[in-house]
Amino acid sequence: MTSDLTLVHLYPDLLRTYGDRGNVLALHRRAEWRGFTVSVVPVTRGEPIPVEANIVLMGGGTDRVQEMIASDLLLRRPELEDLAARETVLLGVCGGYQFLGRSYVAADGTAMEGLGLLDATTEAPEDDRIIGRVVAEASLWGQSFELVGFENHGGRTVLGPRATPLASVVHGSGNNGTDGQEGAVQGTVMGTYLHGPVLPANPRFADAVLTRALAHALDGAVLRPLDDSLEEAAHRTAVTLAR
Amino acid sequence: MSSFLGTERRTLRAGASGTRDRLVARVARMAGWLSRVTRMGAGATVPGRIVHRLDPGFIRRRAAALPDGIVVVSGTNGKTTTASMVQSVLRSQGISFIANPTGSNLLGGVANALVEAAPGTRMGVFEVDEAALPRLVPLLKPRLLILTNVFRDQLDRFGEPERVAALLRLACERLPDGATVVANADDIQLWSAVQACDPIGFGVSGISVSSDSGTEAEPVGCPSCGAELEFTHRTLANLGQARCERCGWRSARPRHRARVVATAGLEGIVFEIADEIVTLPVGGVHSAYNAAAAITAVEVLGIPAGAAIGALEEYQPRFGRAEEIRFEDHTLWLGLIKNPAGATVLTQQVAADRRVGAVVLSVNDNDADGQDISWIWDADFETLVESGMPLVPGGRRADDVAVRLRYAGGQPLPAQRDPLTALRAALDAAPDHDLIVVLATYTAMLDIREALFDRSTRVQDAATA
Repeated sequence: MTSDLTLVHLYPDLLRTYGDRGNVLALHRRAEWRGFTVSVVPVTRGEPIPVEANIVLMGGGTDRVQEMIASDLLLRRPELEDLAARETVLLGVCGGYQFLGRSYVAADGTAMEGLGLLDATTEAPEDDRIIGRVVAEASLWGQSFELVGFENHGGRTVLGPRATPLASVVHGSGNNGTDGQEGAVQGTVMGTYLHGPVLPANPRFADAVLTRALAHALDGAVLRPLDDSLEEAAHRTAVTLAR
Repeated sequence: MSSFLGTERRTLRAGASGTRDRLVARVARMAGWLSRVTRMGAGATVPGRIVHRLDPGFIRRRAAALPDGIVVVSGTNGKTTTASMVQSVLRSQGISFIANPTGSNLLGGVANALVEAAPGTRMGVFEVDEAALPRLVPLLKPRLLILTNVFRDQLDRFGEPERVAALLRLACERLPDGATVVANADDIQLWSAVQACDPIGFGVSGISVSSDSGTEAEPVGCPSCGAELEFTHRTLANLGQARCERCGWRSARPRHRARVVATAGLEGIVFEIADEIVTLPVGGVHSAYNAAAAITAVEVLGIPAGAAIGALEEYQPRFGRAEEIRFEDHTLWLGLIKNPAGATVLTQQVAADRRVGAVVLSVNDNDADGQDISWIWDADFETLVESGMPLVPGGRRADDVAVRLRYAGGQPLPAQRDPLTALRAALDAAPDHDLIVVLATYTAMLDIREALFDRSTRVQDAATA
């Protein structure tokens, strides 16, 4: 019997530089605490993504590691396009976000093709990383909430017309440090530069993702509220520190 | 012991440059004293920075004047302990040396140690920050460079661990002719970065974590062809011995391997190395690595393993590295955490020690700790939660620690940012236990020590360390 929530962690052995496991844990626990059954499925190079996946999470890695997975990832395009078409939630963080876009141009001019699931292109200037705390106002599937996190990326991402920004930056740089946008949303495909990791520190974001992924089980109902006093306290601390 | 070195004998220079050095040193010491009395800082690096400003040749001249040369330790984890173990061995052999106090491992801290060097000092043993290393190596011209490991650490400062490996390689390339590199042969990323410099290896075996690595491990592929590696054993995070099924690549064989015979939680670890049994009075597989590094290194200096082991069995831990302090009729065991690999080896060691009554987990996010605390999600706090010990979240990011423990399946005690309140909460939670463990990031550890001692004691301690 399949679980209520099948949570796929893509390349957990390779894309895990910035606490990406925290996002998996946040979704896992927050579904479990509400009585849903959860399966966490790690998927790495050469393995198929289970068709019953409700959420696919992809974290960030160093340049060397991202090169290690690039060929495997591009072979997954039909698989991921299929999942996106069935409204599976795909969330890419940092490197994972860049991979979901259309292309990535490295500092030395080498262009790499992306998955093209987000209308976004990324270019990396020579040795000039964006590093720091971020506060942003998010707008996702009709909900608004504050996002807080930490960004550390060389790439500058610019969105095309088919993608909408996940959030507008209040403090920090976001996608490129110039247009005030952070992250991208296109249907159920999302990307963000925020780690911290982003979901434990932003329970409303985690719940928005869960609500969408559990739509089949919720059948129009809303998620039962949890006692988020610890999460809210951590969120507020991070916001205060960013200002 | 004058015979232990084959190098040319040098003596502290007298004459013009000697007088100049003394003058520069005096001005710098005065600045350090001013900094201490005005409470602007501990004064441990101020004189060094001033010296380097006044006289950029100072470090180079003073380093060259040490007749038995300089040993430098760098790498992500274990710098302080490895340097301190080497120092213990030198001390046991009656060799005078200068060292930089823990934490003062940038240019200023090293220069300051050279300012403080007493006449007749024979050697220098310095721990040097990875980013400062390529610049300091040409000034210090060390005869021996010890490289401990490369893990994710302070990513907001270093960007990626690959960059750290590249910095260490650059430092190796800048070593003077005839210098030796001693490096961790179990760290595939580090070893392949410095392999061209003919390193002498050390390693550890006899203990195995699951072959399936946790998130604290760095992802490693075959250095030769990039394929997935098959680990024959794994001791800690991504450290161990591996081979590549695809191209036949194998890990380097270390000159000395510490084979772990027995572990005793925080109390100690017993291992066999160079046909001798060592009972090290600090626990954890990382301590075995540090000791193996020290033993391999001092052998390069001409001190036989047997003599080194005698000194290591008497080893006294340093600032926040398995240090014990009395507090309100309890023993506090202090452990420094700063990255997933180091924190995981400590949490597993703590969880395995039944004497521990409670644990304070204190995380700060100041520049010296790393502003990004995402790494706490890659460290294994699950093992700590499963041990059932009461856990007190502490530090500036106590709330985040509380969330981390909750998602690890635990029920942490209330978050306490104030160090003394956190310590008292831990004591209250374990009234029948003597031993309380404090795991803290660098500045969180400073805060705790400051709360425990008055400031003047701490400054004195730092100055004499």
